[in-house]
Amino acid sequence: MSVIQLKDVTKRYDTEAEIIEALKAVDFRADRGEMVVVTGPSGSGKSTMLNMIGLLDSPTEGTIHLDGRNVTNFSEDERTEERRSQLGFVFQDFHLLPMLTAAENVELPSMWDTDVDRRDRAVDLLRRVGLGDRLSHTPDELSGGQQQRVAIARSLINEPDILLADEPTGNLDQETGETVLDEITRLKNEENIAVVAITHDEQLVGYADRVVRLVDGVVQ
Amino acid sequence: MAVASYLRRFPSVLMAWRNLGRNRARTALAMLGIVIGVMAIVSLGMTGVALEQQATANLGNLANEVSVSPGEDIETDGITDDQVETIRDIAPATTVIPQKSNATELTARNGAEANVQVTGVTNPAPLYDIATGDEPTRLQTGALITESTAEQLGLQLGDPVEYGGQIYRIRGFIAAESGFGPSGGGELVLPESALNEQEYYNSVTVITEDGETSTATANAIEAEFNDADEEILTATSFASVQEDISSFTNTLELALLGIGSISLFVASVAILNVMLMSTIERRGEIGVLRAVGVRRGEVLRMILTEAAFLGGVGGLIGSAGSLVVGLALFHVLTGEATLALEWSSSRYLLYGMLFALVASILSGIYPAWTAANESPVDALRG
Repeated sequence: MSVIQLKDVTKRYDTEAEIIEALKAVDFRADRGEMVVVTGPSGSGKSTMLNMIGLLDSPTEGTIHLDGRNVTNFSEDERTEERRSQLGFVFQDFHLLPMLTAAENVELPSMWDTDVDRRDRAVDLLRRVGLGDRLSHTPDELSGGQQQRVAIARSLINEPDILLADEPTGNLDQETGETVLDEITRLKNEENIAVVAITHDEQLVGYADRVVRLVDGVVQ
Repeated sequence: MAVASYLRRFPSVLMAWRNLGRNRARTALAMLGIVIGVMAIVSLGMTGVALEQQATANLGNLANEVSVSPGEDIETDGITDDQVETIRDIAPATTVIPQKSNATELTARNGAEANVQVTGVTNPAPLYDIATGDEPTRLQTGALITESTAEQLGLQLGDPVEYGGQIYRIRGFIAAESGFGPSGGGELVLPESALNEQEYYNSVTVITEDGETSTATANAIEAEFNDADEEILTATSFASVQEDISSFTNTLELALLGIGSISLFVASVAILNVMLMSTIERRGEIGVLRAVGVRRGEVLRMILTEAAFLGGVGGLIGSAGSLVVGLALFHVLTGEATLALEWSSSRYLLYGMLFALVASILSGIYPAWTAANESPVDALRG
């Protein structure tokens, strides 16, 4: 069974000038252990689609199923709980908090769960991405590739079912990008999670189990 | 690192601590505003208390005295024995001290002269503070004299003083400033018999238990002797004077506090500004927090904790500074610095702290609310 599924999802934005249809009746699914890469030119609706899958936004029409549950009409607070427990995010700009150490950044999503101590898992994840000796470094003391690996460790702290990556190699050079993608692939297999990455970088396509092309809000 | 590992149990505090540490100059300036506000409130509040204590101390124990003097419509040339007896009946639990007075000029052997007021009284002890010598409750022989006058005339204990052809030996010196007494000129206190040529008393002092009784006694005396259009005796209670003073200083205190509050209000607007700016700057970060599953309430708590930190630490520093100011103030105004530690004035330290905390948390609410409720998608877009 697919861990995430979009059925017939349409997203419309009402601006004063016009109505923009960013997604048009999109069907999408991803399974555990699978890396799906969504490609398409800018403005094709990739980011909107990622926001749908990541429960950051809700669709105008259609339904979203997470682990078989219909989460389409979840409130913002319910969606926050789902993101907290089921989803991991990796962003193009890494988005680490500059005043926190690498280990604290990894713990961030579960920092407020004071009843579970995630420090061990954070340290373990940082070791697995090769940053076991950088636990107390702040982001400005790390290279871009290292920062993105911290972000990957952060996305996995809550043992998610799905990892969502928005242009994960967009700010990295070719070689660093490859090591990061190797890292994601390895962790995907170790943790048996679904990875959904959006990109217009052909480099990523080589790592994909499946590629979905999006043009003008329509899956080709 | 030790602080951080302890703070890990309080994530909002850890995050607030780290966020405030990012722009130390801004944090310090916002805090300075609070420090100044608290110091203004506390120092002005304490000034009010110090002024009141100083004024009350100057009144001395006059608050429980009723002074009775002949009224406009009295038929005799003073207060009669019968009237004194009536006063004793009206106020049985009090000490009633009738006095006769006159004035004279004393000349010392060395030629020095001094004009003094002469008081003839049997029980001078409750009326005067004796610096040295006897403090008689039944003055039959001898005299008391104001210390400064004695110095002026070179008089020692045991020296003779002449009045009305009689010699009185000095038994005690009256302390210079006791209450509102005629401290400018000196006073010579003699046995009542010394002023025997005067038939009536010039005044009667009634010593009561406290200020409340003294007001009641004064009213009772006036009610007994006077009616609507006839004033036989005038009874004045100093308690009402003290009440006036404390009501005045209370008003003064409120006015001073009001001025102080303005500065704290300005400081909280500064905090509002700082918090608003820093949450707008961190919009993207807060979006990330929300995206990775941090709840709205947790973001709210984090930002409120930052505001509370500014207020709390600013309040603490401000209170510490105010304590120093307060001690100095009390030292100057009342001569006793430690009075600043008494609850009546030290409570302003607590009020200042609380005001600072409440004002800064109130200032934090709007920025925190805005940041927590922004859609993560919008915030991430930057």
